[in-house]
Amino acid sequence: MFGIHPVLTSAPLTVMFCGMQQIDARAEIGLRKLVVHRECVVSEAGAAPARPVHQATAAAVVRNPWVGTGPTHDLSAEVARIAPVLARLLTDRLIAALGGVDAVEAFGKAAIVGSAGEIEHGGALIHTPYFGNLMREFLGGESIICFADARADAGDPLVVPLWHKTAAATRSHYQTVTVRVSDAPRADELVIVAAASTGSRPHPRIGDRTTDPAITPTILESVLT
Amino acid sequence: MKLRKIVTVVEETRTEGGREVYPPARVAVVAAVIENPWASQGFVEDLGPGINDTASDIGSLLAPLVLEALDGPAEAYGKAAIVGLNGEIEHGSGLIHTLKFGDHFRKAANATTLLPAVEKRGPAGIVFDIPLKHITDATIRSHHQTVEVRIADAPHADEIVVALAAAAQGRPQQRLAPLTTEQ
Repeated sequence: MFGIHPVLTSAPLTVMFCGMQQIDARAEIGLRKLVVHRECVVSEAGAAPARPVHQATAAAVVRNPWVGTGPTHDLSAEVARIAPVLARLLTDRLIAALGGVDAVEAFGKAAIVGSAGEIEHGGALIHTPYFGNLMREFLGGESIICFADARADAGDPLVVPLWHKTAAATRSHYQTVTVRVSDAPRADELVIVAAASTGSRPHPRIGDRTTDPAITPTILESVLT
Repeated sequence: MKLRKIVTVVEETRTEGGREVYPPARVAVVAAVIENPWASQGFVEDLGPGINDTASDIGSLLAPLVLEALDGPAEAYGKAAIVGLNGEIEHGSGLIHTLKFGDHFRKAANATTLLPAVEKRGPAGIVFDIPLKHITDATIRSHHQTVEVRIADAPHADEIVVALAAAAQGRPQQRLAPLTTEQ
C-alpha cells in the first residue's frame, strides 16, 4: 500500500533470531547483546527510488578480552577464537534482515572500542582474515571491506561506510549507515559491526569511472587559478 | 500519508548483570518517518481531518511490522511520536493518541491496555525512549521497561517519526516484588 519492499513485510525476519545451535560459542565470546537495525528509504527528495533499498547493521556487544593486557600483548589467540564467531553471527543477521546473500550489494564493517581498550583491539577483531575473509565469503563478496572505527562512550553513534561487495569502485554504491547501541560499549566492551545494503543511494546520478571525462589539474587550469 | 523511511530495530540481550538471559530478551521497534500532515499550515485549530486521514493508515502499517520484527508474541508494548522542529507536539499526539492508531496494534497483539507513549519534539537524530508496559495488565511490574531509539536523519523539521515498540518478555533479570505485595 505504501510502496514497501517485500523484504520488509515477508518471511526473512521470522528466521532472524533462530540458529540457536551456536549459543555455546556465543557465550564463550562474552556476548552481551545483539542489535539489528534496518532502514528502508521509501521516498527521498520527494520521489521514490527506482527500487526500494534496505540498509542494515548487525552489532554485537562483547567483552574486551584484552583490557589491562598492555601494548605489547599478542592479540592473535583471542582473534582466532572470537572473530570467526562474530563473522558468522553478524552476517547471519544481516542476511536474514536483508533477504538473502544475493540481495546484498554493498558492505562495510566497524568496531567501537570502550574507553578502557585500545583501537588496536577493535582492529584486531575486524581487520584480520578471521573476520574479514569470512564476512566477505558469507556475503558473497570479493572487494576489500571498507570500515570505520572509534573509541567512544556507550551510545555514541558511528557512521559506517559501505561500498559495492564485488566492484568497490562502483560510485552509485558509496553510502553510509549510522550504528548506535544505547548502552554500549561500556569501558571494557567492544561493539563489532557488520553492515550491508541491497542497492545504491536513493537517486545516484554522479556518473561513474566509465562516464567521467578526463580530469587533470592542467585541464582545470581555468577553475584552479 | 507521505512516507519517507521505515526503520526497524531489534535488540536481543544475552547477558545482564553478568548472568545469562535465556531465552534472550528481545525488543523490537518499527518507526515510520512521515511528513507532518499539518506542515506549512500555521496553527490548525481542528486536527480531526488530518488525524482521520493519517492515524489509522500509519497504525495499520506499523502494527504487523513490529510484531514480525519481534518474531513472537508481544508481552509488552509502547508507542512514540517525535515531531520535527517546525511542528507542534500536539500534531504527534494527534496521530498516536487515538484508538484509530492504537487499535491496530492492540488487535494484532491480542492486547487490551492503553499503549504507554512518548511524545517529544526535536531535531533529526534526537534520542527518544519508548516506554513499554504489559499488553493486558499495566500493573504488572516485571514488564515496565523502555527501549531507546535514534534515527540519524529524522525527523526533519516538517516530519514526524511515529513508532511502535514490542517486547517478548519483561525486563531481563526482572525480580521485583509484584505491586500486590505492597497493597
